[in-house]
Parts: sequence; structure tokens; C-alpha cells
Amino acid sequence: MAAGALRGVLWPRAAAGLRAARAALAAPLGARAASEMSKDMLPGPYPRTPEERAAAAKKYNMRVEDYQPYPDDGLGYGDYPMLPNKSQYERDPWYQWDQPDMRHNWGEPMHWDFDMYIRNRVDTSPTVVPWHTMSKHFLLFLSIMLIMFGLGEIYPSYRPVGPKQYPFNDLYLERGGDPNKKPPAVIHYEI
Amino acid sequence: MAWAPPPSAAQLYRPNRFVSLPAELDPATYDTSPEKLRAEAERLAIRSRLKRQYLLQLNDPNAPAVIENPALIRWAYAKSQNVYPTFRPTPKTSFLGAVYGLGPLLFWIFVLKADRDRKEKRIQEGKLKRSPLSVFF
Repeated sequence: MAAGALRGVLWPRAAAGLRAARAALAAPLGARAASEMSKDMLPGPYPRTPEERAAAAKKYNMRVEDYQPYPDDGLGYGDYPMLPNKSQYERDPWYQWDQPDMRHNWGEPMHWDFDMYIRNRVDTSPTVVPWHTMSKHFLLFLSIMLIMFGLGEIYPSYRPVGPKQYPFNDLYLERGGDPNKKPPAVIHYEI
Repeated sequence: MAWAPPPSAAQLYRPNRFVSLPAELDPATYDTSPEKLRAEAERLAIRSRLKRQYLLQLNDPNAPAVIENPALIRWAYAKSQNVYPTFRPTPKTSFLGAVYGLGPLLFWIFVLKADRDRKEKRIQEGKLKRSPLSVFF
């Protein structure tokens, strides 16, 4: 197969895995106990020796110097590589990716949080204004407005008002007063 | 007394978890050492090999219906089936498990109990009428 003729005698495992994967395509992932990829092509435990690190780097299609697994805290990352936390938005829009909407190439190691960093979601592109400046401005504005609103609630200030004065003896007839009786005189002024 | 050098543009920018440094401010962009060129050449070699494999499958007349992406399979496997075998109880994981697992449960237990005790006390004092839907005698 042409893949075997690659200058990569480095990649016979990858080519073999590929052939096996292509050969048995019918089953969806998870339909059997393990996928068609051999166990050493799948992620495994944290690599302890330099040989394990080199093998893991080759498995993930990375250079040995680039490969850096997550720290062995027992949190469940295993030997998955720790890639820089950059979203897919930062990748070159003009390069011809294999998957243009994801800006991802076939076989390239995916970030652990790949589904968070897609272009519909989190975007870590550099901003025009630094983050600390933006957050400082925003928090200052928000706190000043909230403090002023709070002070306005505690110490309300408005122009002096008195009770509203109604004409026609405090609307005696409109309020259902007896038209035959003389209404009580209501005088709102003083001369 | 010697003054410290003024902060560089990258230091003034202060990239963090939410924004990354623009390439123009990153000194690595302007680094043309032979080590960097060799590293870039190796990465390009890996990328082009993968691209060749992919394009051979893509333009194959006897093409399979779905071209499996081993990186995707590894990613899905690592996030789902590789977590339990590689998990290890350590002080940190035990603490996190207690905080995230037991914390909300105990919090809501105490909040709801306190709220209902206060309501029951008010009913006993006569300030609140027991609702007709109540299951208490």
C-alpha cells in the first residue's frame, strides 16, 4: 500500500492501524468491546519511562519534544498530551484545512477541551485591549453605578411635594355624593 | 541605582486563560534560530505525511464510506473510557470529590431543613395557616 512506501518506516504502525480501521468499517464506535484500533494505538496510562514517552508521542502524531502529558495527579488524563489552550478561532483561516469548519487536520492531536474551543463556543483570540484593562474598566463602572443606586435608595432626594388638591369640593359629586345635599366646603387656598 | 528595564509589550498585555498573546508581541515569532527551523521542518514533515494519508483515502475510487480519524477516536476514548483506569485516589482528588459530590447535597439538606423548621415554627405560633394540600396531620 502506498502508505507503506512513505519515508516513514516510522509510521508502519499507523499504516497498519489504518488498514485495519478501513477494513472493518461497519461497526460504529462502541458496538464492540474495543474499537478496531489495536490497544497500543489508543490512549493509555501516564508514561513513566522515556521510551514510553517516545511511543506515546509517536502514537499521537507529535514530536517527542512537543509531547507533554498532563501532570500525573490521578485526575484521569492518562497519557493524553497537554496542548496549548488556544481556541480554533486562532488558527489560520486561509490555510486549507482538511476540516475547514473545525480548522482541524486529519490525524492531528485534538485538545482535551476541543468541543469547548470550536468556533461556535469559547474564543481565546487576542483582544485589542488587554484583558486586565477591560475588566478593570468594567468593574469600576459597575461598582460605581451600583453604589450610586444603593445610595439613592438609602437617601432618596426629590423636590418637596404636598398632597394633590382636587376641585369641586374634593370631587364631591364625582365620588357619589348626594346632589340634593349641600356639599361640605373644601377650600385649598388662603388669602 | 539601576532602574529595571521598562516592561515589554507582552508583559503589559498580560495574556491569561481567556486571551492569548498576539503573535506580533510574542518573541518566539522573531526567533530564527536553527533549532526552531529544524523543529518547524519536523512538524511540517509529520503534517504532510498525515495529509498524504488523508488525501489518498479521500481520492480513492474504492473509497470507504467514512474515513475514520484516529485522532478523533483517541480523543473520544481518552475522555470517556480512559478516565476510570487512569484515575487514582489522591488527597487532591478526594478533596475535590468531597467538595463537588457531597458539598451541594449537604448544603441543600441544611437549607431546606432550616427553611421548613422555620415554617413549622411559624405555623405552631399561629402566624401561618397550614395549606390544605399539606400531608401533615
